[in-house]
This record gives sequence, structure tokens and C-alpha cells, in this order.
Amino acid sequence: MKMPVTLNINNTTWNLDIDANATLLEVLRNNVLNQQSVHRSCEEGECGACTVLMDGKPVNSCLVMAASAQGSTIITSEGLMRGDELHPLMKAFVDELGLQCGFCTPGMVMSAYALINQWEDEELSDMDIRKAIEGNLCRCTGYVNIVNSIRRAKQAKDAGNWW
Amino acid sequence: MENRETRLISGKGQYADDLDFPGMAHLVFVGSPHAHAVIKRLEVDKALKVPGVLTVITGQEMVKYTNPLPVQANFKSKGWTWRLAHVYAMPKDKVRWYGEPVAAVVAEDEKTARKAADLVEVEYEPLAVTGNALEALEPDAPKLYDDWEDNKQVHLKFDFGEPETAFEEADQVMHIKTREGRVTGLPIEGRGCVANYNLKKDTLEMWGSFQTPYLARHNIAATLGMPEVKVKINAVDIGGAFGLKIHAWKENVVALASKLTGRHVKWFEPQKDFIVTGPHQRDVFWEGDVAFKNDGTLLGVKATVTHDLGVESTNKGIAALSIFPACSAVPNMYRWKGMHIEGVGAATNKSFYCAYRGYGKDKGIKFIEHALNQIARKLGMTPEAIRLKNYIQPDEFPYHQINSYVYDSGDYPGTLKKALDMANVDEVRAKKEQYLKEGKYIGVGVISAIEPAGVAVPNCQMGGITQARVQITADGTIEVHSDRTEIGQGSEASHAIIVSNILGCNREDVLVKPVTSDYIGQGPLSSRGAVYPASAVAKAAKILKKKVSQCAAAFLKVDEASLVMEGGLIFSSNNPDEKLTYKELAEKSYFFPGPRGLPPEILKNHDHLLDVTTTWYSPTTPDSGSSYTSFCTSADVAVVEVDIDTGATKIIKYAHVHDAGTIIDKQIVDGQIHGGIVQGIGEALSERLDYNEKGQLMTSSFSTYLIPTAVEAPDIEVAHLETPSPFTETGSKGMGEAPIIGSKAVILAAIEDALTPFNIEVNESPATPERVRSWIVAARKEQEESK
Amino acid sequence: MKNFVGSRALPDLVYHCPENMNALMALFDTIQGEYKIVAGCTDFIPAVRGGRWSFNDGLSLIDIKKIDELNFIKETDGIVTIGAVTPLSTIMSSDIVQKHAPGLCHAMSTMASPQVRNVGTMGGNIAMSSPAGDTVPSLLALGASVIIKGKQEEKKVALDQFFTGPGKNIMASNEVLKAIEFPALKADESVHFQKIGTRDAVIISIVSAASFLKVENGVCKAARIALGSVAPTPIRVPKAEAFLKNKPATREVLAQCAELVAREISPITDLRASADYRRDLSETLSRRTLMACLDDLNP
Repeated sequence: MKMPVTLNINNTTWNLDIDANATLLEVLRNNVLNQQSVHRSCEEGECGACTVLMDGKPVNSCLVMAASAQGSTIITSEGLMRGDELHPLMKAFVDELGLQCGFCTPGMVMSAYALINQWEDEELSDMDIRKAIEGNLCRCTGYVNIVNSIRRAKQAKDAGNWW
Repeated sequence: MENRETRLISGKGQYADDLDFPGMAHLVFVGSPHAHAVIKRLEVDKALKVPGVLTVITGQEMVKYTNPLPVQANFKSKGWTWRLAHVYAMPKDKVRWYGEPVAAVVAEDEKTARKAADLVEVEYEPLAVTGNALEALEPDAPKLYDDWEDNKQVHLKFDFGEPETAFEEADQVMHIKTREGRVTGLPIEGRGCVANYNLKKDTLEMWGSFQTPYLARHNIAATLGMPEVKVKINAVDIGGAFGLKIHAWKENVVALASKLTGRHVKWFEPQKDFIVTGPHQRDVFWEGDVAFKNDGTLLGVKATVTHDLGVESTNKGIAALSIFPACSAVPNMYRWKGMHIEGVGAATNKSFYCAYRGYGKDKGIKFIEHALNQIARKLGMTPEAIRLKNYIQPDEFPYHQINSYVYDSGDYPGTLKKALDMANVDEVRAKKEQYLKEGKYIGVGVISAIEPAGVAVPNCQMGGITQARVQITADGTIEVHSDRTEIGQGSEASHAIIVSNILGCNREDVLVKPVTSDYIGQGPLSSRGAVYPASAVAKAAKILKKKVSQCAAAFLKVDEASLVMEGGLIFSSNNPDEKLTYKELAEKSYFFPGPRGLPPEILKNHDHLLDVTTTWYSPTTPDSGSSYTSFCTSADVAVVEVDIDTGATKIIKYAHVHDAGTIIDKQIVDGQIHGGIVQGIGEALSERLDYNEKGQLMTSSFSTYLIPTAVEAPDIEVAHLETPSPFTETGSKGMGEAPIIGSKAVILAAIEDALTPFNIEVNESPATPERVRSWIVAARKEQEESK
Repeated sequence: MKNFVGSRALPDLVYHCPENMNALMALFDTIQGEYKIVAGCTDFIPAVRGGRWSFNDGLSLIDIKKIDELNFIKETDGIVTIGAVTPLSTIMSSDIVQKHAPGLCHAMSTMASPQVRNVGTMGGNIAMSSPAGDTVPSLLALGASVIIKGKQEEKKVALDQFFTGPGKNIMASNEVLKAIEFPALKADESVHFQKIGTRDAVIISIVSAASFLKVENGVCKAARIALGSVAPTPIRVPKAEAFLKNKPATREVLAQCAELVAREISPITDLRASADYRRDLSETLSRRTLMACLDDLNP
């Protein structure tokens, strides 16, 4: 069954005709939206590679029926860029080599973005960071440089370099 | 040029699942729910009737259109047992492991193919299941391959040095048994590819997560019965590999699907499929004796390691090959009199064995390191004391180990001492009594390891020789080709650094090209990257530099010896004001080389073509037979706390010291270290491929096959020594595997130390909470009974 | 036996998204064929992909996530009520729940991942009725009830009467879980939750335990101890609870009680752990959660 859905994706509103049994992941990756940073792996909400922000909160897009996302605002990691300019969080990942194969990275970035965005305290402990990314599995980095990247990004935000 | 990390993080990665071609069809595999069964009947009619289904390929088609999978390694000689199976990419009559593909549905879209996959009807007659290596070797075990005498696939016997003398001279002999569970490397991305068979030209091109495109081409061409020149394999961005994406197998079916449908055909493997039908590793039983003197001097080992190889169905010997390093790694970094090591491999009804970070080196080292800790305990020595007593010393290199390995360089004592300092071992030990009074069980683990890296073995596809090409294009940018795919381990950056350092050009002007099957070599496996491809690239760059010098000296009309190349500029130290950029040099060389530019000798020798393709092979292997060229060193010290009531282990401190020779890029090396260590921690504590009595894999998802999350992974303190290798072009050593070798051993050693009051030998992994608790319960019972 | 397929397609779907309870009840009258009520879909999608649930003739999916009447947290006269489709993360960070049942917030923080907690709901976790559902032991310890809405009536059922087996409960197919309620903790009461899995984070419990303790003048006036993953449903252990009644609230007594817990249960061996280990952990986790309550009450 086809059905209409309205989604705001990275600040653009889309009126889409989707399959009722499509997941948000499938819709984001399709030919129309082409959000290829949203990676598909387990399709069961276990790896976090498909993490996007839905109404500001990180979700596994493989576990969200696209139909139920009706009216919501979605941000993928492509949406953090300003033109060709990397978001300060992404820049921190590049500088700290917080990625190796890069497959888990866009999802990881979205969890980290949600964490830093809502974190108001000065102090952000390593365990706070680790807990925030517990749903994003990485097999390459051992997480050390990812934690370093996120800590560095927090400093960037504290210094006013953030959007 | 935009660096790779920036490209990937901007969402511009092109992984296998991102591949898209007009008219592309999709393939989904249908697997057996039985571990061992005869296929009585296979009906595809219902599946074919689903609108959108193009075809269903079964074992019948594989037999009809393809050859059996080609042999990749054969060691039948020397009186060893080495059996191979005659199988196709999908079976026609019999399945031998849970999940084994029996059909592939090809449809217009993936959803349709998945839906139809459930409609392929297969009737099986289940057979008795052979569940583990020890059972498989029993005389009455159900056989996997009818034409084999029994399930013993491999039996290798090695005599290193003088084993008999070693045991004659011994004061004591200790019997050691260890057991490692079955694991898999599990990158976050599964395998995937697109095949395009061009019916007009009879050519095949594939794009996908190929870790070794050159070998993939060789084997896919052989399976499809095509000349290699008509096949091209392209590696795309790969979402982690760790050895698991080396061999092409299901890819053959995808290629055939394209040939039969005339369409681009895409296959993207769901994670569950990757675990159930992907490469597995470890799953070994060690048993043997270690001979030593009362003062802790090591003398010899007699031991057998039995591997559970799963099916011998998909990689034709290349998996069993990992029994070699398992046996040969036992001497590790110590002086020995002699050893007799036997490596046995049994075929069982489990998914196949193949490469995963460590590839057997880890097994031999883990066994001997465990043995050393037991000997030290018995002799009342610290784990470091017994190691320091037996290390090969820094002035003994190159050192010819008893197993024919030629160790290149290192400072073994220095590496260990540094790690002990970093972890404040003395301080932790001093507090142990106090901790125990508080009910805290804290333990210190100490492990040291070499990593044999950069493999070259005769009689198999891991032959070693590697090709690379460095070319200066007409606009002065520099293109680098090799066999070393980028799987997240920093190939591209490393090669750009090596080339820019040699040519004095800007790193941004070097483009390391994606790897295709055009360049010979086995790609990044066995930590070959910094040994073979890096050496081949460095060698090509050095030859190119000579050409650059000749041309530049002629253009600038200066003495070649006075030339300086730095910052992308070429000039004479005698006249720094007159400079050439690489762009100017290339333009002049290619487009205006005529009489006023270059001397006739250069033109006659074609030396103005700034393009070098060359090969590299180990300088030590030909004379010594050493199957590895570089040997990096690591020392791991971990401090853990065990909750004795639940059995849960928490890592409090982790220190790692690494000597990978000359470091090409510290950030990359550190990243490899962190990642390898955490994979080893997963193996030590939670990762387990668990088959039930029916032979079905029960841990087939990320929620049951438990790799560490960021919460369990510790912070890791890393330090480096740099003892250059005299045998590689850059002085660097292969280093991807040492971290996993040390970490999985050191966590177990630390748990053992924490449980000292219970006198428990931790010789089984993973040390899950349940298992640790069961050891404690049993030890307490024993202690009470002895009272 | 079904084929092994790595990841299955979702069935052909008719998607319904009623906006209020009346619309939902009306839907029950008109809907044709097989249907499933979902909220977060965090259990539905994996169950289909993995082949545990299959719907060969298609399925109507009733998504109740957007029914506002089911999405709330409130405290009235000492009773905390949480709407069934309230996301786990909302409950976890709710001031009301933090204040009146911090043990429940802790339990939620150990469940799945942030991504799953942002869409997964407490009602879903209860309605799935898994023996390993991690919200349930704390709710049982809190003495929670569920409010079930059917076409004709709305009923309140004690949570310990709700589960009938693994994946099974007392609800009819045209009933919906509306809310969960429990008494707010008083100054002399405490609830603690702990779980053990093979890994710390994002893990299904081998055993989970929650204890409730009410101590007056150094005497245990009431106790509830609940366990997950040790029986076909999450359970309470009435004999062990009764043992504590009017006993002095000392560490020795609580430890004795924990031993009784281990004797009272009959766990099974499965993929995650053996029966022996589960029994053993039940004692440890009961003891630790009871002690943690005692520490709260005797600062």
C-alpha cells in the first residue's frame, strides 16, 4: 500500500508517496532522498549505523516505520554540514582520527551531536560520552579516538564554535 | 585533494550498499535451517511466481555453469595430512552447516527478493551433526565429506631446534591445556557487491567490499571459467574487514546471476547472514608440555593444537593455512632449545574458518604466554621476571629463531619495562592485600608478544610478491597504485605520507587510487600493509625520485647531487632562487622534452616518463624460508577487578607499549592499537559463537554476539618505541595484529591474578561472567572439601 | 522448518494511526484480517526481520503512538501514573519519576540504547511480556497496576496478575494497555534495581532484580522482591517477601532473605545462561538491591 508522508529532512520539507511497510531508513536511502550517510547494517536496531535525529532525538531509522514519522523533523549527518564546510563536531572527528573505516561514523556523529547539543554543564565526563554512544557499535577504533573527538567537539561548542 | 576522512564524514562514502546502477537487480540468499542434511527436493516455482522475481539460482545452476571452487592452498606434500573438498559455491545435494546457501533469489528489488526467499521450498533429510573438533576426530563421528577417510582435514608436524635435548636438560616439565572459543571479526558492514556481466563482450566487472581484489579476480575467474583478463574487480569504500572480506565465495553466485539475467546484480549481506555464513576463527584446544629449569630458563615445548575449522567448503585451504602461524608463533620472543608442535584441523558442521586479525599467530602466542604465567607462579617469579630472563636481547638481531623466522629488530626488555611503569604495577601489587580485605579482587596481567607480519608462503595464494606504481601526471599531481585496499587501517594516508616524504612533494598532491585487480598482491592481510605494499610504493617512489632528479637537474642546468626536493619544489642548494614545481617539471618532461629541455640520453632511455611500476619481495624470505619479514613488539599490562559474586570483570587500567619500527603516522598506528585491543577484550570477555546441539548458531546478531560497546571498552594508554626494521624500505613494521594478540591474553592473565586466593587457572575464553563465577564456585567447593 | 534468511521483508501493510482512544476503539470494530498494535515498533521490526513473526496474508498495523491520552506522566494524591506510549527516555528523565521512583529511572537507563529508549515505550515493554523485560521487576517491586482499556470497560489489574507466559498476558486482542500506575515512594520506602548481562551496556538481562523495602523503626514492614529472566514471566517471590515481614532490617536478615529467593525460583538454562548461574545471581542481586534499599533508609 502506498501512502503520503510529509517529512522535514535537513530543513527541506518533502511530500513523499511511500510504501506503508517502508522503514525510515529505506525511505532516507532511496533514490529520491539519497541520504547515503545513513548506513544500513543490522536492520534490527542493534548497531546504530543508521542513527538520525528525529525531532531532535537520536533514533535507529531502521526501527522507525516511515509512516509513523509523519510530520517529524529529521536530521542526518549530511544535514550538519554548512555547504562544504564540516560541522565543528565532524571536524573534531577528522582531527582526532575518530573514524577508521567510516561506516559507523555518521550514526556515531548523530548520537554525539544530540549529546553535546543538550548538555548544558561545563563538565562532560568520558563515561557520559561513552554512555551516549553505547548504541553505536564501532569495530575499528576501540572508541578511544571517538571519545577524544567528542570531548574536543564539546570544547568547540564551549568556545562558541557550534551550530 | 580532500582527504579520505573528510570525504567519508561528509557522507560522500561509497560503500557496497551505496552502489546503484540503472536497471540493477537484487540478490538474496536462501540458507539451510539444518546443519547437516541431504537436499531431497528443492522447488523454486512459488518463488518464481512472485511478481518481480527474475530467476532463482540453485546448486544445480552452479554445477551447470561454474567450476568447483578453486584450490587456494595445498600442502599435501611432506607426509602431512591436507585434505580438500570438491565443492561448488552452492551445493546441489547436501548442506553441511546451518545457514549454508542453497538458493539465491534475484528480483527487481530487494524487498521482493527477500519475500520470495521464504517461498523457496526445500525438503531436507537431516543427518547427524558433528559439533566440535574433538568430537569430529572420534572414530565413529559423522563424516562431512564422503570421499575423506575421516574428518581430519589437516595434520601438520613441526620440529623446531632440538626438542629432545630440551626435555632432557629440563629440571621440570609442566602440562598445559588451554581452550579458546569460536569468534568472528564482525565489521559493522557486512559483505556486498554489484556484478555486471557484459553479454556482448563476455566480460565481468564487479564493485564491492573486496579486501583483496587481485585474489578475488583470480578465484572468481577460475570459478566462472573465464580468462582473468576479462574480469575486473574494484574495491569500493569498505566498512571494516579485519580479514573477513578476503576471499570471494558468494560473490561467484552474484557474478553468475548477472550473467544469467544480463543485468547489474547487487547483493548486500545482512549482518545475521554475515555471522551465520561468514568466516569464523579461533576455536582451538591446546595441550602439551613445557620444559624449563628451576631458575626459570625456558627450554622446550611439545604440544598439539586442535582447530575446529568448520566446513572445508568455501576457501579451499586458505583457512587451514592459519594452522601454520598458530604452530610457528609458539616460540614468541624467547630463546629456546627446541619444540615439537603439531597442528590438527578437523572439519565440523559449522561455518567456515578464514582470516581474522591474528590468523593463528595470536593462538600460539596466547598459549605460550599462558604457560609462562603458570611456570612463573610455580617458581614464585613475577610474570615479568620470567620474561626478562628469557628474552632475546637487543644486540642479538637479526635473530634466527628456532622456527626459521628471522627477527628483524627490537628491544624486548625495554618494551616490557615501559609498560610496567605506565601501569604502576608495583603500586597496584603493594595494595592487593588491602584490596582483598575490602573484598575487592584486583589483578594485574602482563603479556608480551611479537607480531610476525607480512606473509609470504609458497604453495598457496599468499605468495608475497607485490606490485606498486607511482606516477607523476602531466599536471604535477601524483597517483599511487597498489594492492593495499583501504579498509580503515590508513592505507591511503600511509602511502601518501611515504610518497610525499620521498619526493618532497605536498601530501595533498598525492592521490592514492582505489584498489582494483590490476595490481598484483594479496592486499592488506597479515599486517602486510607496512611491509609489502608500503615497501613496493616506497621503492617505486625512490626510483621515481631518481628520474625526477635527472630531469630537474637538466631543466635547471645544475648538478644532480645539489638538488633539494621539499615543499613541492625542486631546486639546487647552490641556487635556491630558481625553482621548479612538480607541475612545471611534469609539463616540461612530458610536453616539451625536446632538444632544448632534456639531454638526448634521458630521452633515448625514456627516463623522462615519470612513471614507475615495480615489485617488492622480502629480503629475508628467500634464504631463510622465514614466512614473515617484520616482527613488531608489544607489551600489554592490564589491571582488572573481578566481582566474585557475579563473575563480572571490569578493566581498571590498560597500558600498551608498541614497537612497530619507524612510525609512518602515529595517529594511524594508535588507532590500530586501540581497535585491536578492544577486539581482543571482546574475545577475552564476551564474544562467543555458540552452536546448539542441532548445529544451529544461537549467537547470530549484535544482541547475542557481544562485541564491546563504548561502555565496556577501557581508556587505553599507549606508548611507542621505534626500532627500525632493516628489512623494509621504510623501516616500519606490520603492526595491525599485535594489539589483539596481547589484549586477549592479558585480560585473562589479569583475571587469573585477581583470583589468586582461589588458585584458579584461567585457561578458557571467553571469560564471561557466568564462566568466571562457575570457576569461583567450583574452587570454593574444592577448598571446603580439602578442609 | 523455515529457510534461513538473513533479514526478511516487512509484510504488506495497511497502516492505521488513530488520533484518540475513541478512534482506536472504533477501529477495532471495522478492521479486517490480522492486526498488531504497535507504538515504538522496536520489537515489531526485529521480530519480523528475524522470522519470529510472519504475516503471509498481510497485516494491519495500528500505531497508537500519536494518541495523546496515552502519553503522559503525572502524580496525583501519591499515585504516579504513566501513559503506555510514553517513551522510555521521557520516563527516565522525568522529574516526577525521579522523585517518586528513582529505581525505575535507573532500570530504564540500563535498557537497550539511547536510540531505542527514545522510541521504545514502557507500555510496549510490558505488553510484549518478555520474561526479560527490564521495566517490569521495578514496577512489580513498586506494586504497580496496569490500566487496560477495552471497548466496553476500563479495568485496573495488579501487574503481578498480568503476565500468563512468555510473550503472553491477559489482554484480549481488542484491548489496549492504557497506563501504568504505582504508589509514590514514601520517606521510609525504597526501590532498587540491578541487572547482570554478559556485557554491561545494551544487553538483555541474564537476571534482573528489583527490591522494595519499607522500614519503620528498624523493622521491615513490607518488602517486595521481583525478578526477571528466571521464570516464564517476570515474577515476585512471596515466600522470601513474607520472611522479611516484621523482621529487623539488618544486613544479616536481608542476606538470609536473598538465600530464600534463590530457593524459591526455578529458572531454566537457555542461550544466555544456565539455571544454576541464574539461581546464584538471583541471590546476589536480591541481596544487593535489598541492601541498597537499606542503605537509602539508614543513611
